[in-house]
Amino acid sequence: MLLLRTTQRSVLRPQVIQIYSFLKSTSSTTPRFSIPILSRTIVTSPHLRISSIPAETPTPISPPSEAPPTVQSDPAPTAHNSLSLLTALNAQPSKYIMVKIQGFTFLVTTGDKVVLPFLLKDVRVGDTLRLTHATTLGSRDYTMKGNPYIDERLFECRATIIEETAEPLRKKEKKKRRTRRTKTVKSKHRYSVLIIKELVINDVPPALATAAGSSTPR
Amino acid sequence: MPVSALQAVSKSRNGVGAFILQCKRMEFNFCDWAGSSKGMRHDRSFLKHSLPQFAKENPQIEIIVAPRPNKIPIIRGVYINGREKVIAVDGLEIQQILQKAQLLRDSSGAKLKRITKPVISLNESVRGMFSPFHGEKHVI
Repeated sequence: MLLLRTTQRSVLRPQVIQIYSFLKSTSSTTPRFSIPILSRTIVTSPHLRISSIPAETPTPISPPSEAPPTVQSDPAPTAHNSLSLLTALNAQPSKYIMVKIQGFTFLVTTGDKVVLPFLLKDVRVGDTLRLTHATTLGSRDYTMKGNPYIDERLFECRATIIEETAEPLRKKEKKKRRTRRTKTVKSKHRYSVLIIKELVINDVPPALATAAGSSTPR
Repeated sequence: MPVSALQAVSKSRNGVGAFILQCKRMEFNFCDWAGSSKGMRHDRSFLKHSLPQFAKENPQIEIIVAPRPNKIPIIRGVYINGREKVIAVDGLEIQQILQKAQLLRDSSGAKLKRITKPVISLNESVRGMFSPFHGEKHVI
């Protein structure tokens, strides 16, 4: 039973205890729909008891390799657990996402301007793009990591192309010693600029949620 | 206790809600006599051939065509931020002039700047500033 109602805005920042509710599966079992989510629960005071872990001393973090046995033995509760974590992540006010565009990773929130180090082809200024390759999705207390990417049905991240610019012209002078000949190389790289329109986490349909619970070995 | 409003300035984020093209006006100037204006003004040239299509595709841009005698042909783009960008198209062919027009249309008018960090954000950090007293307990 996770304490999600305990986000009290006190002057003293609450103590943060790490709990891994990680649904990352081993290579043998690959669920069709996985929600690998990590949570950092918050307690307001050290005296508050949490049923899952001892209150006074925080437990040492178990390595992820120990997680799969718990998944295989008891699939339904952990799926429900990670769903509730996803709901909790969604409930938090601000979220970030690490998206990959043509191999480059960018950590963005809504409203951020991203100057890509290249020019996007086959798009025009004003077009909206849906970004589908996300490695991490997180908020203040929860992180969801993809394996290697997060299932694209779980989120919607859209960006608008606002501009196609360039860097200022830069010249590189190349000259060898004891030679008078100088070679000048000019560079003016062109860039596309995007702005992140929205970052929305979708509700998981119940059919897919049960599929996540019963992981079928492949 | 009286309630007072927060002082807040709206942050412009063109593209988040609606997208507004930053180029508001483009002026095409040419010379009727000089040879460098040939790409612009002759038959089967830019003004007769490509410009009507360009104007139709970009209804948001006000397009002005005016002769400017004894000067090289130019395209002048005026932007919402108040800046102007002028590109000389002397001696260029139709396709090249069209490329310059598209360059002006796609620009935001801001001065060219070298960008080192790709993401420009006005938001506060999501996970907050680091504190050595909170987080994972370091076990020695």
